[in-house]
Amino acid sequence: MPNVNLSNHLIQTHLLISSWSYNRKKESLSPDLTVADGRLVTVPPPSSQLDTRDKLWRLHSALLQCRSLLERAITKEEEELGGAEKGDYQSQRKTVRDRLSLLLANTGELLKATDGTAVLTPSLEGLEIDGPTILFEVKLWIYRIFKELDYWTKTAITTLQGLPSVTAKERGRTTAVRRRRSTRR
Amino acid sequence: MPRSSFSPKPKCSPIWLICILLGLSAVHTHGKDVPTVPQQVSLSPNLETQQLTLSWLGGESTTFDIMILRTELNETVFYETVSVTADKISGQHQWNWTSVEPLECTSLSVQIRSRDGQTTSDWSDTHILPGMDLPSNKDSQMFPQDRVVSVGTNTTFCCIVEEGLGFGSIRYRDLVMNVTRLSRRSYAMTQINQGPSGVTGTNVFCSSDEKTLLNGAVVFVGYPPLPSDLVCETHDLVSAVCQWNRGRDTHLYGKKRKTYYTLNGRDCTEANQNQKWSACSLAQWDGNFTLVARNLLGQYSLTDSSELSLRVRPVAPANLTSVVRAWNATLLWQWKHRGYDSLALICQVELTSHWHTTTRTFSGVGLRSVIVLDLRPDEDYSIKVRCGVQQNFWNWGDWSGPLAFRTSIDIPDAPDVWMWIERDNTGRLMWKPLTHRESHGQITGYEVTLWSPDENIQHTETLPQSICTVPINLTHISTTGSSSNKVIATVIAKNAAGVSPPASIVMPLRWTDIDPPAVSRTAYMDGGFPLSWQSDANASCGYVVEWHDASCQQDCAVEWIKVAAENTNISAQSENFQPGVRYTLSLYSCSSEVPQLLQRWEGYMEELVPSSSVPHLSSNQQDSNIKLSWGEIPLVSRRGFLLGYHIYLNNGSQLMLLANVSDPTSRSYTVKGLPVGSYKFTVKAYTSAGEDTGATVSISLESYTDWLILEMLASLGTMTCFLVLVTFICYKKRKWVKKAFYPDIPEPKLAGDWSRTQGPLDVKPSPHSMVHIVEEPEWDSSKEALVVIPEEDEDEDETGDEPVDTDEPTSLRYYNQVIDDRPIRPRFPDSSASSASSLDSARTDVTYTGIQTSGNSLGFQLQPQGSSEGQQPQIDVPASCVDGGGGYRPQMQPGSLSQDMGLPAPQAFSEPQPTKGASFGGYQPQCSWHLDSPVEAEESGGLAPSLGSPTSVASTQFLLPDSGSKEQPEGKGQGSSSATTWFHNLLSSAKP
Repeated sequence: MPNVNLSNHLIQTHLLISSWSYNRKKESLSPDLTVADGRLVTVPPPSSQLDTRDKLWRLHSALLQCRSLLERAITKEEEELGGAEKGDYQSQRKTVRDRLSLLLANTGELLKATDGTAVLTPSLEGLEIDGPTILFEVKLWIYRIFKELDYWTKTAITTLQGLPSVTAKERGRTTAVRRRRSTRR
Repeated sequence: MPRSSFSPKPKCSPIWLICILLGLSAVHTHGKDVPTVPQQVSLSPNLETQQLTLSWLGGESTTFDIMILRTELNETVFYETVSVTADKISGQHQWNWTSVEPLECTSLSVQIRSRDGQTTSDWSDTHILPGMDLPSNKDSQMFPQDRVVSVGTNTTFCCIVEEGLGFGSIRYRDLVMNVTRLSRRSYAMTQINQGPSGVTGTNVFCSSDEKTLLNGAVVFVGYPPLPSDLVCETHDLVSAVCQWNRGRDTHLYGKKRKTYYTLNGRDCTEANQNQKWSACSLAQWDGNFTLVARNLLGQYSLTDSSELSLRVRPVAPANLTSVVRAWNATLLWQWKHRGYDSLALICQVELTSHWHTTTRTFSGVGLRSVIVLDLRPDEDYSIKVRCGVQQNFWNWGDWSGPLAFRTSIDIPDAPDVWMWIERDNTGRLMWKPLTHRESHGQITGYEVTLWSPDENIQHTETLPQSICTVPINLTHISTTGSSSNKVIATVIAKNAAGVSPPASIVMPLRWTDIDPPAVSRTAYMDGGFPLSWQSDANASCGYVVEWHDASCQQDCAVEWIKVAAENTNISAQSENFQPGVRYTLSLYSCSSEVPQLLQRWEGYMEELVPSSSVPHLSSNQQDSNIKLSWGEIPLVSRRGFLLGYHIYLNNGSQLMLLANVSDPTSRSYTVKGLPVGSYKFTVKAYTSAGEDTGATVSISLESYTDWLILEMLASLGTMTCFLVLVTFICYKKRKWVKKAFYPDIPEPKLAGDWSRTQGPLDVKPSPHSMVHIVEEPEWDSSKEALVVIPEEDEDEDETGDEPVDTDEPTSLRYYNQVIDDRPIRPRFPDSSASSASSLDSARTDVTYTGIQTSGNSLGFQLQPQGSSEGQQPQIDVPASCVDGGGGYRPQMQPGSLSQDMGLPAPQAFSEPQPTKGASFGGYQPQCSWHLDSPVEAEESGGLAPSLGSPTSVASTQFLLPDSGSKEQPEGKGQGSSSATTWFHNLLSSAKP
């Protein structure tokens, strides 16, 4: 049940980010122009070999990097544009940050529930945390951060929706082994 | 010199020629003194300003040719001759060139040469300012970055395409721009007259031919600062606080681009960027203040100066407290600054209660407490204070924070009491519930006392606060020994603070059926019923205006208002007034006695259409008409003053207005003139708001034959009665009628003694003049004429004469009744001879008179032509006429007749003959009253001449019309003939 709630929450967060998505229209970025992907979040590549815990850890790590990038982006925006942004943009930006923090807390809880150990804080080394200095590049950088946010919230939905079946299978396996052991006894 | 070298001699040796040429060459070389080539050329770019500073050593030359090329494409960007003086110390020449494009866009080659007039040195070595499009810089780039420019300026951007990619476009915002190629990888475009950018600047995008974003730049287009209205003041009598208006939006945001302010050289970091007004403080009052606003596009200065005492604006009072009582409160506060203790202050206290705000002003030195009067008990107040200086008032200080308090309670006001008495002598004592403002605290109950002044009997009852009406059985009071006809009722309200003053009213012990004064109407306007009345001397304590629903019969909701004695008009207002309800408003005088009804009105707040249609609508056929009847609409359903009724003929699809019965009291209407058939009638009552939905009734209208028969019988009966009446009158007045219309023929007036009894006179014809009745075969016997027969013809007559009637006596018979003594004149003077001879012979003077009855007249019915042709008239001659016909006839003998008869023309006819028609007209009966008009005269044709003599000679009698006249219509003639015969008979019967 918590997973269902979390999944709904994720979908809403993703919709919020998608609708916001750094507002191409506001920046007059023509829709026919494509912006080259520049990955800012570095995590191990996805693999079918990864177990639930690894998938959760990978997701958690990526979201953690996203939050760091988002906070840096907010700071950078404040520096460069100095409160020029008003109203809806600022409130939406704050909402995205709060929901991302909640998502991080939830994935952390899941990680704990998976192996019972404390969550390791992923390393932020190599992350372009300082950001550019030229304003156009700052804008492009923030745009990419939100693209990352969009991508990783979408990934979180997929990952968390796949979790119940996986955990159920694992529980099933565990139960079967226990039964076998008890039978042998 | 050269001139001297030339020799005029034609023959010169070759040596001399060579020498001359060498000499000339040397002179020429020495005269042209070639400028030195610029040395040590250096380029110093300023990328922000796009300025390139060239410096070189150019000797003594002051004029130089400078050529700047785009290195890659070898395109000339700049080529001009400039004047540059050498620096006196370093000897260097320096010149600045500003590029349209950013200097990073592409490499530039610079060459300089000295010029001295038309003489130039060689070009200096090419010096290259490397651009960012060098192959070593493979990435895509765009210039300039983060540029801040003024609104309206032009900016050129260049895009250096990533090595290996193709150029697509440059867009300013989302607008694709025209570009210029600067080098293999560099492209430029210029945006002219730029408008102000948004909060995040204006983006310029460079994309590849595959529409992939390569790079971009942000440009901020805005304005330099333009603040205004710098004003400095002091709050604490020491420091200065300056305020100014930030002015127009600079469109420049962010740390680097925002506007910075300094006041007297001190940074104003606290100046709010997002407010229209900014403020900055200085620790000490300086007297002169200078504000400088600065951003990347420029700066602006404002100044202000004043003495401190002229700019004192007190701070807001602090620590506001109150000491509250029922009707007033003391307000206290403190000042943050000691300097206020000796400052003459003026303070405003703003009092708010129930969303109503009042302001009161107080003043004093170092003012820090005031007493606020005229408060109401048990009331919530919110209060705040602000102050200014009394002397050199500059501005009000800030308001203090609000202080809320509630005043103490007090005894209630006296209730407003009124009464209502029913016809059955039951009454109600009523009072208005005290409002919060009147109760001065929570009302705990009421005390009602009934006191009979004569008996001094008092009855008191305590009631809870929720009660505001008490039923009173006046009959019971009157039968319990009270000899008075009134009772005084007193009501007292009570709360925790005490009891209110008593409110009393005198009530009559029995309902008196006083005829209400004439009820007039009042129209609702401006939220009430305007009422006015004549002042009443008995109204010692004013008036009471009372109103209620007019249709209410029992336990009516009564409202009232008390009016001071000096007022004689009021607007009766109530939140309970409903549209479509008739209200009765009554005016009572207030005195020490029972209130007296003075006047009464009725009116509607808003008239509506009647809610129900007329009841009991019925239709009845009355004769050939239809009578519609209906009942009265109940008062409650009228919802307005009825103005009348509309009667419609309802033909199913539409209503046709038949009548508008404008009398609202009318209860019936008769529809007339409708043919037989089925009809539906709709009756709608209407008010000023319109008509109701209407009541409809159907009726089938049937023919009414009885009435036709009755009508005919009635006509016949009326006619019969009329004829009988006429006959009776004629019979009764026959003497008068006879005298008027048919008098007796007078006796002939005879000379001599004719004293003999009246009777028929048989006259023997005189031998000299005899009247002989001649029967002319062509004539009807009725057309006998008196013919004077000459003596000589007598014999012939005797022989040839044949009597008309064998029974007729041969003698003539006259009535000798004398009716006139006047001498008779002959009608035809010319025939007087014969007449005279006749008279003379008989010695009689006979006047031939007589009424020419129809028979007689018929005797004169002359046929102008036909008669002479032998046509006999087909008319019978009455016997009486025959009897009389033997008498004389008026003397008229047409000439033609004489001729036809073969008679010789007598002397009497020697006169010119009248026209044929006229002569045949002869004497006609008196019918001239028929021929008064010329038209009738024309119709009568040839008879007209006879009108000149309507009567026979000397006749005083009327002659009846000649009914046999040819010109008259046949029917008419017959009718008058029969009528006259009847008339004649009637008159004859009247003779004795």
